[in-house]
Amino acid sequence: MMKTAKKTYHDGAVSGTKRVVDVLLSVLLALLSVAWMYPVLLILLNSLKLETAISTTSVFELPLGDKFVGLDNYIHGVTKMNFLSSFAYSAVITITSVLLILLCCSMCGWYITRVNSAISKAMYLLCVFSMVVPFQMVMFTLSKTADTLRLNTPFNICIVYLGFGAGLAVFMFTGFMKSVPVAIEEAAMIDGCNPVQIFFKVVFPILKPTMITTAILETMWVWNDYLLPTLVLDIKHYRTIPMAIQYFRGSYGRVEMGPMMACIMITVIPIIIMYLACQKYIIDGVIAGAVKG
Amino acid sequence: MKKCAALLMAICLMVTFAVAASADASVYYLNFKPEQDAQWQELAKVYTEQTGVPVTVVTAASGDYEKTLMSEIEKSDPPTLFQVNGPVGLANWVDYCYDLSGTALMEHLTSDSFALKGDDGTVKGIGYVIETYGIIANKTILEKAGYKAEDINSFAKLKEVADDLQARKDELGIKGAFTSAGMDGSSDWRFKTHLANMPIYYEYKADGIGFTDAIKGTYLDNYKQIWDLYITDSTCDPALLASKTGNDAVAEFVNGEAVFYQNGTWAWNDIKALGAENLTMIPIYIGVEGEENQGLCTGIENYWCVNNSADQEDIDATIAFMEWCITSDEGRKSMSQDMGFVVPFDTFTGEYASANPLVAIDTAMTAAGKEPVSWNFPSIPSEEWKNGVGSALTAYAAGTGDWDAVVSAFVDGWATEYALSH
Amino acid sequence: MEKAIKKYWPVFLLPTLAAFFIGFIFPFLWGIYLSFHKFTTVSKTAFVGLSNYAKVFADPTFVDAFWFTAAFTVVSTILINVIAFVLALALTRGVKGTNIYRTVFFLPNLIGGIVLGYIWQILLNGILTNLGLPLLALDARYGFWGLIILMCWQQIGYMMVIYISGLQNVPGDLLEAASIDGATSMQTLFKVKIPMVMPSVTICTFLTLTNSFKLFDQNLSLTGGEPAKASQMLALNIYDTVFDRAGAVWKGVGQAKAVVFFLLVVAIALIQLFFTRRKEVQQ
Repeated sequence: MMKTAKKTYHDGAVSGTKRVVDVLLSVLLALLSVAWMYPVLLILLNSLKLETAISTTSVFELPLGDKFVGLDNYIHGVTKMNFLSSFAYSAVITITSVLLILLCCSMCGWYITRVNSAISKAMYLLCVFSMVVPFQMVMFTLSKTADTLRLNTPFNICIVYLGFGAGLAVFMFTGFMKSVPVAIEEAAMIDGCNPVQIFFKVVFPILKPTMITTAILETMWVWNDYLLPTLVLDIKHYRTIPMAIQYFRGSYGRVEMGPMMACIMITVIPIIIMYLACQKYIIDGVIAGAVKG
Repeated sequence: MKKCAALLMAICLMVTFAVAASADASVYYLNFKPEQDAQWQELAKVYTEQTGVPVTVVTAASGDYEKTLMSEIEKSDPPTLFQVNGPVGLANWVDYCYDLSGTALMEHLTSDSFALKGDDGTVKGIGYVIETYGIIANKTILEKAGYKAEDINSFAKLKEVADDLQARKDELGIKGAFTSAGMDGSSDWRFKTHLANMPIYYEYKADGIGFTDAIKGTYLDNYKQIWDLYITDSTCDPALLASKTGNDAVAEFVNGEAVFYQNGTWAWNDIKALGAENLTMIPIYIGVEGEENQGLCTGIENYWCVNNSADQEDIDATIAFMEWCITSDEGRKSMSQDMGFVVPFDTFTGEYASANPLVAIDTAMTAAGKEPVSWNFPSIPSEEWKNGVGSALTAYAAGTGDWDAVVSAFVDGWATEYALSH
Repeated sequence: MEKAIKKYWPVFLLPTLAAFFIGFIFPFLWGIYLSFHKFTTVSKTAFVGLSNYAKVFADPTFVDAFWFTAAFTVVSTILINVIAFVLALALTRGVKGTNIYRTVFFLPNLIGGIVLGYIWQILLNGILTNLGLPLLALDARYGFWGLIILMCWQQIGYMMVIYISGLQNVPGDLLEAASIDGATSMQTLFKVKIPMVMPSVTICTFLTLTNSFKLFDQNLSLTGGEPAKASQMLALNIYDTVFDRAGAVWKGVGQAKAVVFFLLVVAIALIQLFFTRRKEVQQ
């Protein structure tokens, strides 16, 4: 529809200049895209270099000749830092947290929209409020609370994420529910369904688009989160990917740039693949999230 | 409906408390020295195999020890064994230190001065490694250039040699006299702490004191001299030092691109590829009168403390583990040979004396009548002070700041930080 | 039906409410309580009234961090939104390969802050060195612009996507009418397109404002606050105060800083809301 509109309002005389502008624009955009990808490419190239060949002066040199070490940095980084277990912990935390948030917050959001009580209103306001509060406000007390309750493993830290991430999710779900007519649910009730059945049989399928949107926004947050797991997780046993990358900077005299860049690549590549695979959902999710917010 | 609710509650509670069941006595060691992380992990595993007591070793990232300890000690499973760096560090953690008097550790400690005591005379911390640092030198290159390490016995001489090496660097096939004085977090402690010890040491010595609430900075001009030497006769442009890491310096030294490398006995494993016969150590001369007789810097920065807020059975398990480390064959071998420590306990004799050649150099020097420089940096008022001096040194080296900023960070910073922590 | 659902509150409301209490309400209230106390461990606290707050404003590092953060927020908000909008305009002209460009520009947004920081630290230090300029950790100006570039790289794609959707929703007949009336493309842009995408502008401004103001991960990994805390932003300053400074004094001060920080964020949100409301009334 948009394209037809364009064709009609640009008459023949203008389209000549338009074509020139478009060609110029294409060239510019192509250049910009290459520049945009360059930082990732740079890390990729350096991750294939010999450790001693990496320094601020030689960072732009290509990994050629005896500077090329193949996948050595990858093997070293993965084995030494136990990077695969970090990867697994990050995955477990992200999956459980997002699933829990989706389930609990969709139920909560439905309840808030369908029940008009003081508790509902208070809950809604609190959720909106919690979206504004910076993490630094609660970081110290939250880590203390989570520790007391033993919410410090990758398997139950999802409760902390549900608590701190509920605001946005509930907000998204209530925003969507408000526009859904109540009639179908009432029909189901007359058919003898109880509210739990109504929710899972009738409401749940309707919520699917919002589920995807919320899942994407929450996944991006949890997967990349650094400070919350650093403070809450039991560091004796667990380290997520962002924590592992940060830990590379540690150790007296042992900042190993090669393996560090290799691990950065291992972190970035799955993100790129996932993004290319579900690009449509991610971008729609961002747009939907923005409209609601 | 009630059933449903009860089920949900039950699930919530189960998830919450599933891991709450705590195990029997266990040891949790928050280690300060990343160089020896692998050896500690190994030793802990051996101990667990022999006794069944789980020992967890966590090594904090460099520069993050206080941060990690601060957040870990608050947790429900806090470290049972942690470290302080001396009296100043102890002041922050003294409330958490279990009294170690009467333990076998105290019995075996070779000198009472290696223990940290509280105001009430109880033993709060026990030093477990004596370390020495100075300027490690590549003897081979030095001799190729026509010098002998023994002849360098003053700052003037050191500068003369370094300047000459720097001038002839192409002929000698080196990139500079000194390795890059990297100011990245992995290396800056060599200068903001260890090198800073020199002016502090001489000032304390002149004033006959062991700590102070306000440093005067009498020897800061000497500090400037040696720092200038490090950054000019160097393998790299001073402006790049901010991003140079500890690894860079090690690589330069091991590859024979530099002759001098300021570091200590703990660095042995990194540089042993050069071969003991090619290495020596010279004192850090800063141009103070009578320094011909100055030795290497020797002291203790690592004291073991046992957390008194841990469960009694964990405390007992921890002390048992420490005693095992210094009495068992496995423990003694690991600490003296694998970690390369000089351990101040009388159980480390004979085959368990340190096998670290850098330590042998120090022993020989002390035997020859050189006066060891004591470690005074544990009396530095706070980490914040070190960071301030470090930033100022980096800026000065890069030319973006002047020396006055270093002086101010050194002198004024000391007073400010002392006031804040007392 | 409402009554029937209401009875089921333990199923629908309780799990979220319980987690919300653990993860937000309780820590939040406790945080406010602690900001009036001096403590090393939370079991031993001493009431000190407002003295923590007095120390917050007497701490030059906090004040510096505030100005750094404020300047950063303003510059990054303007740059990100202008560039994102221009890109969105370019990509809604129907140029070939639009989808590929959109994919590329959006990508950095998915990479986490810590990783982003290190990627740019390596790249920017490399560029600075080869130009013979001081490194990021040496000069707060480079740290500042480094952070701006990093933020632009990360956020432009995201905002661009929102602007594209806004521009695509501008009704075609409106543009047609403008072109029939003889409006130049500039006039169309300022008189038709921009007013029509105002809701997107509001959202994007809000998102960039809060993202920039609350920035932590990128700050920690790119500059770590160097040199001498000159490139430290508020969130990092608070973190350092709470966890990096030994002694009983600092914990309470850090918590008080967090409360001040929180109030600033709320103030920004309220101001933003006020302007949005006013605009909605005008429309």
